[in-house]
Amino acid sequence: MKRLPCAIVLLSTALSTTACQDRWYSVPPQRQPPADYHPHAARVVNMDDYDADLRFVRDIAPKTDTSWRWTGQRPAIKIKVRAINNLTYTIDFTLPDITFKYTGPVTVAFTVNDHVLDRVRYDTAGYKHFEKEVPPEWLTIDADAIIGAELDKMWTSPGDGKSFGIILTQMGLKQ
Amino acid sequence: VIGEALAPLWGAALTIAACYAAGTALISRLGTSLQPAERFPLAFVLGAACLHLTMFTVFALKIATRPVLFALAIGVIGVAIWNHVQNNRVQPRDAAPAKFSWTENPPAFGYAAIFIVFTVLYFITAWAPEASADGSGYHLELISRYLDAHGFFPITTNLYAGFAQGAEMLYAMAFSFGGHAAPAVVHLCFAVALAFAMLAYGIRIGKWWVGAAAALLVYVTPVVGKDASAAYIDVASAAIAFCVFYWLEVWDESRDDRALIAVGLLAGYAFATKLTGGALVPYALVFAAWRSWKRREGMMKRVLLIGVCAAWMMSPWLVKNWIYLGDPIFPFGASVFRNPNMHVSAIEEFVAFSHGYRITDQRLPVELFVRGDVVGGFLGPVFLALPLALLSLRNQTGRRLLLAGAVVMIPFFANLHARFLIPVLPFLSIAMILPLSNLPRAAAALAAFHALASWPPVVRSYINPLPWTLTRSPLAAALRRETQDGYLRRTLPGYPQARLIEAHVPEQGRVFAFSGIATSYTSREVLVGHMAALNQNMNDALVIGWDSESQPRMTIVFRFAERALQRIRIVQTARLPLHQQWGVHELRYYRGGVEIPRSPAWRLHASPNPWEVQFAFDNSPATRWRTWETALPGMYIETDFGTDQRLDEVRVETSRTDRDAKLQVETFSKTDETNKTNEKMQWVKIASDPEQREVSSAPWFRRAATDELHARGVEYLLIQDRDFGAADFDEDPESWGLEIVARESGMTIYKITAHKVTP
Repeated sequence: MKRLPCAIVLLSTALSTTACQDRWYSVPPQRQPPADYHPHAARVVNMDDYDADLRFVRDIAPKTDTSWRWTGQRPAIKIKVRAINNLTYTIDFTLPDITFKYTGPVTVAFTVNDHVLDRVRYDTAGYKHFEKEVPPEWLTIDADAIIGAELDKMWTSPGDGKSFGIILTQMGLKQ
Repeated sequence: VIGEALAPLWGAALTIAACYAAGTALISRLGTSLQPAERFPLAFVLGAACLHLTMFTVFALKIATRPVLFALAIGVIGVAIWNHVQNNRVQPRDAAPAKFSWTENPPAFGYAAIFIVFTVLYFITAWAPEASADGSGYHLELISRYLDAHGFFPITTNLYAGFAQGAEMLYAMAFSFGGHAAPAVVHLCFAVALAFAMLAYGIRIGKWWVGAAAALLVYVTPVVGKDASAAYIDVASAAIAFCVFYWLEVWDESRDDRALIAVGLLAGYAFATKLTGGALVPYALVFAAWRSWKRREGMMKRVLLIGVCAAWMMSPWLVKNWIYLGDPIFPFGASVFRNPNMHVSAIEEFVAFSHGYRITDQRLPVELFVRGDVVGGFLGPVFLALPLALLSLRNQTGRRLLLAGAVVMIPFFANLHARFLIPVLPFLSIAMILPLSNLPRAAAALAAFHALASWPPVVRSYINPLPWTLTRSPLAAALRRETQDGYLRRTLPGYPQARLIEAHVPEQGRVFAFSGIATSYTSREVLVGHMAALNQNMNDALVIGWDSESQPRMTIVFRFAERALQRIRIVQTARLPLHQQWGVHELRYYRGGVEIPRSPAWRLHASPNPWEVQFAFDNSPATRWRTWETALPGMYIETDFGTDQRLDEVRVETSRTDRDAKLQVETFSKTDETNKTNEKMQWVKIASDPEQREVSSAPWFRRAATDELHARGVEYLLIQDRDFGAADFDEDPESWGLEIVARESGMTIYKITAHKVTP
């Protein structure tokens, strides 16, 4: 009677151990890379993308119901880079009349990971587009790239003292 | 709205009545002498034990439909009434009621008033839609799934499915008639029963105020109130534990062995309600044996009686687990009862996670008594006077209480959270009050102080941030003037996720989520990342998708003189630090630099975790065989080629997280790597000191990961923005083979569009 609990424990341990030891398996079906697999190398962030706010690094106004955002002086976003070759910096923005008439011509430095890709002086207000290929050595695969712009001047509202840069529509890297 | 509001009360009332009826009928059969004050609490809890077993049978027979459950409840109530009316012969012999007069004991009005005020608060909270994490999570999710299936079925993707569900069986009856809020009302009834049992105990020892004050100390304790008014099980466990103690006292006093039937049933039910309650079985056995020995009476019969009754309550759960999950005490027996459903490491991590603090941490008392931030609730500052309980060691009553309390407290040391002390509180509270038994006013003052310090507005005044405690009375939600949806979106994290799934995932859809949500509020199956072996493997595949450290970027190459062999092992020889595993993404064999094609004739084995050895041979970069426990010397992966195979190289593809493993190649042969010949076949080393190579990664990790999920029937992912790797899914769903189905604040549901692989 006294040995019964010990016997039960030993039996169950033996059974479970045996069950574990005796398990043999055949070779499973072999997985193959999908033929139609072409992951994006990078991304252009539209300001009305549902996840746009997750990409912002600095100086971009938080979520609104519009497809554009006001920026500060050094707007920047981050983008995960899957490949480094043949990537082009691209940005669409507007220099609004309301600010331009006070600031006059604005020079914008376009940056990638703190490297200045180019510097452009804009002498007129209105919609602007810029794009230029990014040197691959500035980028790292599977790491975030910081895509930015730096304005040389901003307009400050005399009413509330807030400063405004550009109206940003989209920004990022495309292949 | 009225129907919606009354449904939980109907479901709970039916269940509570059935419990009480079952208990009354059994006590009548036992014929044990009880005082009137003892009848309600002891009958309710004993009846709960019996009803739970009946419910288990109904679920096991897969006949758990509403008509059957209704017939069961009505039948039990009917039997009790019939028994009461017809069978006077076996009516219990009520012990002479203790003398008590309300008019002679004005403090009793104060105790009653405090009890009623807190009961109203608790009742309104319990009546409101279930908004607790565990309640709306696994407690109700599992019974909801069983009810949908009209019975038990193997749930291998949720570790909680292996927990005995002694209380949940009652909740199932309440849930089927009253929905989500009904189980909490049943649980609250256990709290009321516990308070009455403690009061009855005070009356039994001739000092009602001791029982009343101690009952209030427990009843108004913040963590008790919070727990009791939700579909948790801790207060039920406390009530059951105290009733085991109580019935032992009844037996010891009356020497009526029939009381031991109740002791055994309740001790077994304590286990069936919560595994840790199993400590009450040896306690009851030893107590009965000891008292029998002291009286020079036969102990074997009594021990057997308790043991058989306890086994009757416990064994159904043990057997169910063994049949369904391969481990009678699933998931905790994973390291002994090896099974494919639970990794050993998951239990190690579960236990580690359960430790909010180390027991030696000097902040623990402050956390438990007045802060509750880290330990999930608090007991109240009155328990700083706990050392008073030691004074009760001077008499036998106190010693017995503290002994029982010590036994019930043992599991707390494995899980340092305030609510795991709830079953201990009844014993400690009476022991605290006992030294004041001749100072009824002091006892009353202590109880009044505790009530004041536990009242939610007062709690808010001295604790910030608020721990897990009741904050206010949700009357509008209880009356359903505030909609359930509105109330739960406001109060229950995890509820919006559940509703998003319900709205966007089709019926029968399976969803993977990294973190837990209020799964009882969706009818879709949600597989949470850490909950079972299958879930962990999918979790691992997804992590491999975005985490370069977990990707197979390293190849370990063993070269040796070409030889013919049939069986080969890769053996791990290092003792790695605790929780560090060994893993192999792919294992490949070569001859002359050319990989030997994998053949259907091969047979694969691994130790430990043989069930997942195929992950090392499936050519997928997103899967890996892992030990899923701390890597120890002697763990291996074995291949039996079926016939002699000539080879000269073995490559082990692994990740940087597995770089600490030390490997060697062995074969079953007479000759080892030095060509030394042994007398008989044995495992001999043929290669060690491998070359390690960093390799560029395959570009399709992400897609491979979701392919694996899809192959296992998972078509949807719920990713919350706070989940590790969430940004990677957001960044480029297409590379994962995903498309966005729905997005709300902080969460996204993706559908897996890739479906080209088979399990």
